[in-house]
Amino acid sequence: MRESLAGLTTIFRRELATVLRTPGYGVLGVGLLALLVGIVAVGGGGATGFVPAVVDLLLPTEVVVPLVAFVLGYRALLTDTESGEFAVVRTYPVGVGGYVLGVVLARVVGLLVVVGAPYVLVGVGIWLTAAPDTGIFATHSGVDSPWLYVRFLAFVVPFAATYLALATAVSAVAASRRAAIALGALAVVLGVLGGDLAAVGSLAGGTSPEAISGLLVRTPNGAFRGLVFEHVVGVAFAPEGGFVATGRALASLAAWTVVPTAVSAATLAYGRRLDAFLEGVRASRRE
Amino acid sequence: MSDDAVASLSGVSRTYGGIAVLDSVTLDVGPGVTAVVGPNGSGKSTMLGLLAGAAEPTTGTVSVTDPSGPKPVGYLPQRVPFRDGFTARETLAFYARLVDADPDAALERVGLSDAAERPVEALSGGMRRLLGIAQATVGTPPLVVLDEPTSGLDPGMRERAFRTATRAATDGTAVVLSSHDLELVDDHADGVVLLAGGQVAAAGSRGDLLDNYDVASVDELYRAVVGESVAADASPAVHVTGVSDR
Repeated sequence: MRESLAGLTTIFRRELATVLRTPGYGVLGVGLLALLVGIVAVGGGGATGFVPAVVDLLLPTEVVVPLVAFVLGYRALLTDTESGEFAVVRTYPVGVGGYVLGVVLARVVGLLVVVGAPYVLVGVGIWLTAAPDTGIFATHSGVDSPWLYVRFLAFVVPFAATYLALATAVSAVAASRRAAIALGALAVVLGVLGGDLAAVGSLAGGTSPEAISGLLVRTPNGAFRGLVFEHVVGVAFAPEGGFVATGRALASLAAWTVVPTAVSAATLAYGRRLDAFLEGVRASRRE
Repeated sequence: MSDDAVASLSGVSRTYGGIAVLDSVTLDVGPGVTAVVGPNGSGKSTMLGLLAGAAEPTTGTVSVTDPSGPKPVGYLPQRVPFRDGFTARETLAFYARLVDADPDAALERVGLSDAAERPVEALSGGMRRLLGIAQATVGTPPLVVLDEPTSGLDPGMRERAFRTATRAATDGTAVVLSSHDLELVDDHADGVVLLAGGQVAAAGSRGDLLDNYDVASVDELYRAVVGESVAADASPAVHVTGVSDR
């Protein structure tokens, strides 16, 4: 156990160093900041308060954050498997689970900086510039407050983590960088649009509108949006809530993080055996 | 498996795309330096990858006698795979930390102490290989597998890389390496495995093989055995991209 933990920590440290030494990620963070500032400035929400700003940011966040997460994760495991370094690492006392977890956790920390910092800076900007006074820490619903923005941030992070985990799974499954980009693009499009399209399809198919929130929560975007409506936007306008079941939404985000991570580990652990097995089948067919 | 074998392959075959790259190989690897030689595409990298656990055999078994240590096998692939952006010391420290070893001692062993703070991407090809050998031997594994440790190096660096690799073969350690430098194999190898067309054409101690084939050097042995083998086996050697890069 101690050995596994030491291995995980060592992998984590190296991966984090790799992330911190990649200038492109810094550029990505600056780009995201510029985009967010532009959105709250053009939308006008930033000048009014935190909740209006969240309303402005919600839809772009659902598209941009998955993209940023994919940029951070789509080569996370592929780099080592492609270069052959993973085969070398496997000769050391590091389990596949520890290796994948170390890589994913380090990338999550990178994600916190690349995604979290721009959102925090935008929040600070709103606090300093918005009118009327946004420095009220609300104790009653209906009042704009920095806490509502903090809640929004608290949902952005696990939402981003789901797409990072998905991107990591793509990097484990893909055989090449091109394949990873193609699979990643497909996953983002399906993730961002798939849930909503499926919900619309269900409505057309006769599903009751009351059941839609339960369906939406099954996708990362639906769960994230539901939580933001329930605990950020809705607090000010609809105190009774009822947009989404919080527990189910959080469980959905957790599942969308854990399952792809497990898929990554399983792919690396059993991929070679599966490949050898399929080769055996192919060879026996040739005989 | 013989009593002093450190690792063994038993009836091992491996195919890629349904084509046999290694075919029914049975082999024991004992302590000392074992050189695997053969034409391009004869299955050397595949065999070494299987020994190192980097790939699974399609059929057969690969076993290492004492897999209980922290690092049963040390492995240097044909393409040295280190990440850019890290110094030689940082790179080795990463691996050394995994087995509680001293990265500075490992760098000193391969003569890279002076280049410790140089980024990996700024090292020459020879230095990268030496760093790779240091990585493979850190943690003193009982089996060290080096795929073409002298590939693409100038004669001086080839000699240095080979000497460094063979120095690891002490205290019962088995070093298995593939090489096209038959002179260096002649000078340093205890055992020789000749592969041709994915099969073992000849294997044994260097001295015994030279006696059996009545030749004076590994170069002559290669010509005698591989020449015969290629003539006897009409099927061409298989070259697999990514497995046999040379």
